[in-house]
Amino acid sequence: MIGLEFLILGLDFPQFIELVLKVLIFPGLAFPLLFAIIVIWFERKFLARIMLRIGPLHIGPFNRTGLLQPIADFIKLIQKEIIVPDNAHKLIYNLAPIMAALVASLSVAFIPYAPKPGGGYWMIFYTPFSLLVILAIFTARPFIIIAAGWASNSKYCTIGALRAALQLLSYEVPLALSLASIVIMSGTFDLAKIVEAQSSIWFIILQPIGFIVVLIGMMTEIARRPFDIPFAEQEVVFGWPTEYTGTQFALIMVSEYFDLCAVTSLITVFFLGGWSGPAIPLLNDISPILSGIFWFLLKMAILTVIIIMGRGIFPRVRIDQLLDAGWTIGIPLAILQISITLLTAQWWLPLVRGG
Amino acid sequence: MSIMKLSIGPQHPISAHFRFLLDVDGDVVLKLEPDVGYTHRGIEKLAEKRTYLQNLPVIERVNSYCDSAGTMLGYLEVIEELMGLEVPERAKYLRVIAAELNRIASHLYAASLFSVATGLETMLMWPINDRELILDLLERLTGQRITYTYQTIGGVRFDMPDGFKEEALKRLDYLEKRTEDYYKMLLWNHTFHMRTKKVGILRPSDAIKLGVVGPNLRASGVKVDVRKDEPYEVYDRFDFSIPTGKNGDSYDRLEVRFKEVGQSINILRQALKDIPKGPIKKWVPPIVPKGEAYTRVEAARGEFGYHLIGDGSMKPYRLKISPPSFRNLIALPHLCQNIPLADVPIIYISLDLIPMDVDR
Repeated sequence: MIGLEFLILGLDFPQFIELVLKVLIFPGLAFPLLFAIIVIWFERKFLARIMLRIGPLHIGPFNRTGLLQPIADFIKLIQKEIIVPDNAHKLIYNLAPIMAALVASLSVAFIPYAPKPGGGYWMIFYTPFSLLVILAIFTARPFIIIAAGWASNSKYCTIGALRAALQLLSYEVPLALSLASIVIMSGTFDLAKIVEAQSSIWFIILQPIGFIVVLIGMMTEIARRPFDIPFAEQEVVFGWPTEYTGTQFALIMVSEYFDLCAVTSLITVFFLGGWSGPAIPLLNDISPILSGIFWFLLKMAILTVIIIMGRGIFPRVRIDQLLDAGWTIGIPLAILQISITLLTAQWWLPLVRGG
Repeated sequence: MSIMKLSIGPQHPISAHFRFLLDVDGDVVLKLEPDVGYTHRGIEKLAEKRTYLQNLPVIERVNSYCDSAGTMLGYLEVIEELMGLEVPERAKYLRVIAAELNRIASHLYAASLFSVATGLETMLMWPINDRELILDLLERLTGQRITYTYQTIGGVRFDMPDGFKEEALKRLDYLEKRTEDYYKMLLWNHTFHMRTKKVGILRPSDAIKLGVVGPNLRASGVKVDVRKDEPYEVYDRFDFSIPTGKNGDSYDRLEVRFKEVGQSINILRQALKDIPKGPIKKWVPPIVPKGEAYTRVEAARGEFGYHLIGDGSMKPYRLKISPPSFRNLIALPHLCQNIPLADVPIIYISLDLIPMDVDR
């Protein structure tokens, strides 16, 4: 049957193989999962070093690294019983973790990871309006969280869900405004074209204020410390996923890291020039795509370390302080960035759009 | 809007063996009602059934995992006052050394819990690691990490081991340097200021009216310390100051504790330098004469009051303990009125309450 399916999609055989590679391995199914496993391990080990602890130790191939600890945790979690609270809304309660993981991994499909030699990009689904699609996917997340918190029918879950919704919705405004200045500068909604506009100079140099707003906005969107108010365990135990157990909990945890994967990819695309970088000789010989992917992943890794480090050095801020900062600092800064971008157009236009 | 009843504890990440009943309106806590008693062990009644000497390990467990040496000191003080007993000089110094080391350990513990309440887990681990150095020192001195039963009626049980003094001074130097890191990481952290400054302000007049004791009272700006006001043991011979706060907010309550660690280091250095040679224990009869006595000591969490009624036998007729956490607990409902929900853990931890201490 496999032999016929690519005919239905209207693709020839090499195109079909490429699609399968994209969907199943990179940047599709396997990549976010692998990213989650590696980042969970790295986060635990890295934070342990900051906190003068040892971290995961015993499980895994190399001595004293605990490399396979996330996989062991995952196996433990899927063995556990799935408990649904008595008064929970069964359907929504069971659907929410799946939706969370799905939505979190969806945005990866629209991100270009490398250019292909013959034109086109290494991405699952190409659309000239990918930036808008990504923003649309981001707006779906608060509703899943509210649904999960409401369906759990627990006070802590409800409080956590409402906090998450407040935080996510209010930080979408500065985020969208900052992305507007990116769109102004590159003149397109296409993520791939945004990367190509940065071939001579990265947007982080042209728009430092926008970068900071987007980084903080994205950290707030995915609720990383110091903005992990929805999960504040000192106040609301674990926030909206408090009641989830077993596989459902594992799905929610993994979806957090899918989000991290998507967010770091997006910031790389918007500000760090995506795949641009000098060609790596060894990888370039195999395929120029690999060289682009290498640079992309390197930039993602640096961003991931920066985002994770917040957990080691910051206390959590309070929800009203966060919302205040979003409305009174974030939005003015984003508007300032747009104004600067518009006023300095004559200087950056030759750099970005080649005169 | 309707008022939601929220129960925090006894199985909640931040509540220890407490339960708090909150009236929450949206994100605002209208009222907090503490529900205590989860660790009640009846120590006061238990003490009446056991001899004075047998009571030592029991009394220590009023506040066992943080400040057992300071707790024990008050019990011994009250017995010795009733007996009219004068303890050997060296024993007095050793008691002070144990109590002050324990105060440092307790304040480091308080600081680490405090940073957990704000969500900074790094500062959970750092002071806890350094507390281990102090506990290790205490283990060399007393043989135990947490519950020492070191001070006893008429003196202390063991003398200082060889090399203890040098090791102690070395570790105190390290700790003094290390405190700078704490300041950089926690007390000068802007986000930490956002969370703790102007949160849970306890005015001096309110603090006195509510009967708050210890570092919490001093953080409100009231200069009260039993070590200075009514010196017991040999505290009158040391040169140290009483740190006080300005605003009485949660931040001040933590900063006062950090400053007190510095003062304890100060006291320990003087004590280790001045300690005289001589016997460490005096033989005492197991019987305490008939009569009544009340003493108070400054333990790490505040003032410990002991009221003892002896009936001329080997057992106390009545031993009333007035622990600091119980007296500080009353400030919690007072401070938790019309505040954001997120401030409840910070105010609660900043008061440095220990459930065992509250319940006895």
